[in-house]
Amino acid sequence: MNPFAYTSPRNTTDASALAVPNGDFALPVLKSGGMDLLDRMKEGLERPDLVVDLTRIDDPTLDAIDAGRIGGRVTLAMVAESEELRKSAPILGAASGSAATPQVRNVATVAGNLLQETRCWYWRMSQFDCLRKTGDDCPAREGDHRFHVIFQDGPCLMVHPSNLAPALFVLDGEVEVVGGDRTRIPIRDLYADPAVDWRSASVLSPAEIITGIRFKSAPNSAFIALKQKQSFDWPMVSGYAVLDLDGDVIKSARTCAGAVAPRPHPLPQVDAALAGLSIHDEARIRAACEISVDGADPLPGTAYKMTLLPVAIRRAVAAAAHSAGTARGGDA
Amino acid sequence: MSQPPRDLRAINAGQSVADHATRLDGLEKATGAARYGRDQIKKDMLWVRLIRCPWGRASLDSLDRDAALATPGVVEVVVSGDAGEYHGDSIGYVVARNRRALERGLQALDATWTRLDCKTGILDDEKARAPMGDPSAETAKAIDDAAFTFEATYSTPVQTHSSLETHGLMIEPDGENSIVHASTQGTFVVADQIGRFLGKPRSKIIIDCEHVGGGFGSKFQIGKEGAAGGLAAKTSGEAVYSFCDREEEHLDTGNRPSLLCKVRLGHDADGTIRGARFETFGGTGVSRRGGGARVPSGRFEFGTLDSPNHQDIQFNAGGPRAMRAPGCPQGAFVEELLIDEIAHRCGLDPLALRRRLDDSERRQRMYDVAADLIGWENRADTGSQTGTMRTGYGIGTCHWGKGRAPAKIEVVVHPDGHLEVRTGTQDIGTGQRTAMAALVAARIGVPLANISVAIGNSMLPAGPASGGSVCTPSTAPAAMAAADLARERILAGVAEREKLDADRLTIDDGVIMEGGRKVIRWEDACRRLSEPVSVTGEFDGQASAHWGEGSSEGVQAARVEVDCETGQIFVRDVIAIQSCGLPLVRKTAESQIMGGVIQGTSYALFEEQVLDPGTGAVLNANFENYKILGSEDCPRIVPVLWRDDQTGVRALGEPPVVPTAAAIANAVFNAIGRPVRDLPLRPDRVLAALAEPMAERVVAAAPRNADLENRA
Repeated sequence: MNPFAYTSPRNTTDASALAVPNGDFALPVLKSGGMDLLDRMKEGLERPDLVVDLTRIDDPTLDAIDAGRIGGRVTLAMVAESEELRKSAPILGAASGSAATPQVRNVATVAGNLLQETRCWYWRMSQFDCLRKTGDDCPAREGDHRFHVIFQDGPCLMVHPSNLAPALFVLDGEVEVVGGDRTRIPIRDLYADPAVDWRSASVLSPAEIITGIRFKSAPNSAFIALKQKQSFDWPMVSGYAVLDLDGDVIKSARTCAGAVAPRPHPLPQVDAALAGLSIHDEARIRAACEISVDGADPLPGTAYKMTLLPVAIRRAVAAAAHSAGTARGGDA
Repeated sequence: MSQPPRDLRAINAGQSVADHATRLDGLEKATGAARYGRDQIKKDMLWVRLIRCPWGRASLDSLDRDAALATPGVVEVVVSGDAGEYHGDSIGYVVARNRRALERGLQALDATWTRLDCKTGILDDEKARAPMGDPSAETAKAIDDAAFTFEATYSTPVQTHSSLETHGLMIEPDGENSIVHASTQGTFVVADQIGRFLGKPRSKIIIDCEHVGGGFGSKFQIGKEGAAGGLAAKTSGEAVYSFCDREEEHLDTGNRPSLLCKVRLGHDADGTIRGARFETFGGTGVSRRGGGARVPSGRFEFGTLDSPNHQDIQFNAGGPRAMRAPGCPQGAFVEELLIDEIAHRCGLDPLALRRRLDDSERRQRMYDVAADLIGWENRADTGSQTGTMRTGYGIGTCHWGKGRAPAKIEVVVHPDGHLEVRTGTQDIGTGQRTAMAALVAARIGVPLANISVAIGNSMLPAGPASGGSVCTPSTAPAAMAAADLARERILAGVAEREKLDADRLTIDDGVIMEGGRKVIRWEDACRRLSEPVSVTGEFDGQASAHWGEGSSEGVQAARVEVDCETGQIFVRDVIAIQSCGLPLVRKTAESQIMGGVIQGTSYALFEEQVLDPGTGAVLNANFENYKILGSEDCPRIVPVLWRDDQTGVRALGEPPVVPTAAAIANAVFNAIGRPVRDLPLRPDRVLAALAEPMAERVVAAAPRNADLENRA
């Protein structure tokens, strides 16, 4: 790891100013929990000359949890344990509580989770160049891509690593930002179109800082992670569902898939097919979830995800229908 | 269909020398007070790091040695090669005053490489892709004479060592001597190896390995990191620290080699195997040797067996080193799954077929207990289940030889009654320290609290390396001999002073007795000593009837659940029955067995080194992508210490890792009706198997009660 300067501003205005490259520091970087940043620095992927630490900023809204809002600096562990959220949007606690390990969740923050970089093992190894770095080729395409996309939405085959982002997609979430002209960005606009920009982790400018997330209440919401290992693993595929129920009938549904595309992958065709179904109509719910793979173009090594995705979505829908909120992949 | 748990806590009660002893160093290790080699960080010492090849095969284009040497804090840059044959191969090393200078020096070196074509696995070699060879005429006839022919191909991955304490050593000068704090499983082996690099005679080298953080066969050698450390120490005359980081640990400290195994056999309708040919290919990376697998193991009757047909296959990856029961878990996976496949083809209960093919009387009795404890009667016929979650039961077996080595143990009796057990042998985490103390305490008749242990130092009496599961079987007789000598010395003194017959004296919980009469407390008897008494017990390393004719045997049974929509496998229970003669300390013996099951489950489900097929770079040289079992993936494990009539103290370290993956693979086969013939049993492979037709049956299934009759 290279030497770097370190500063811990007391307000977001100062932090924003410090995060912009200037004559003194060409490569400033913002740090919250620092989980992913530390990895990237150790891997030699990032060599910042200034680390702007957000953990000393004196602003209680960064650490607050309400029924429809979570501060950007709230840890994943706090989200997972929140009684308030268990009632208003159980999907958030389930998704946060499934990430990484207890040790990581105690440090990693909501904003950091949304902005973390991909786990693509080619991108993570400094000896490989790739499309996301300076190269013209994706080494995963001909290489071992077992953890990569089935939806080739761009030339880069990475999958988005965030557990929380797809949950915000189905909750119609927004991120609060400071440091630029705008104060809110819909979650669906936070990530660049991978067909156009496959190098940026988000559309944020260097000065912009996520201070919180906002979302609609969704008591019937659930998350399913299908992992190879139950301790400390990234999902092979994850499924997210929010249902608006009228008795036992699905008035409307919002579903989204994780770990299958460069961004969270909403499934409007599934949503449309689910609308109007009874939550007890297993056959038609199954059929509706089968079309979650429509448009997929799997790689030779990711064909198995074609089987997993409809299962993850169906199980998320079932868990949401029964207000389970948290459901583990193995508990069929 | 959950198995009702029974209270199994008492299952091993009364089976060991010390049922309630806990690890002497448990608290030290749990609190971090225990000092490992890797913890020997001093303010003034040099740091060493190897210059490594980043690709499977590459030639060095350029390297800026001057820039590296100009980096503040860098003291030496040694470049001795210009090509790498695997990711992690080394071409020299950098020495610096601190860790940061070391990293900056490596950056300044700015090595650039040209990638060359490389091979990344067994199947890159055409010998392995060729069709099976013809068996000998005799075997061919046996196969042809059988009612049915069966052919299948199995594979297992490279499992890397990745010890908790990484490989390496720290060397500090001490007058004319060098003290080497090594992470090793062979105190005296390291002493012999490091001298060449330090340029010192053996008499000037002291090895210290008081605590070692694991070593499953890869720490018999000082490795390149140790050699570079030795050379740097010789050049500088200063203290030197050379340990691998986690990535290097995955790349270049050895592994369990991969295996490809092709089988052709002939069997009859009743499951009798008439003849078989096994072809094995061991993936040895850049090493020429070391890829052997024990298949068949000799535990089962295979009729006319073709002579062994093994080839080691080289490719561009780090080479193997011995790993806990070398060649055995991969061989057992093939052999045991093969037997279950034959049983299924013949409509037989695989346990019933095993009873027929296995001539070990001890394992026959173990089968009964394993079946009872796992709930074998709940096992559905293979492939008969429908639904999402399917339960499977499987069995695996092992045996382990009777290797022994010479050992000396010194026992010092101090005038305050305290006893010191002294042995140069290392404790790699198995509990050697605790076992020696507990054995001496029990043999003499004093409380464990009276004993301390000095261990893991080459100034102490010589003992074996921790390999082949010979360490405790060899040190135990020496410790018993030393304890007997110490006891006799003290009792002789008491007898003389008290005018008693020494032969009639006993020691019970620290009190010397004659018949039922208390004579004197142990401490008071020792107080008469004018100086400490030192005695040494020796074991000559020869097996004898008492000390171990025959082998340690084991049977494991697994219960799994398979999610047939996702291919996920959940290992719920493993019953692990293991004979090892007389267990010394119940808890550490159980811990050995449980550790074997954990490692075996991890091998079955998760572990595999992944090489980029194009460049040979290791894609998962970390614990994120090199997946190992975590707490939520751990089955309920019931370790059973099997006493029977076995005498002596026998091998326990290696055998429990042998049957686990085999038992799990069989349980998965039972649950889903198709064999998964490649480890690890990943979800994508389970899903692919489920897409295949149900495994073929060549004989109609026998009615269930026929199986029951076989069992009786």
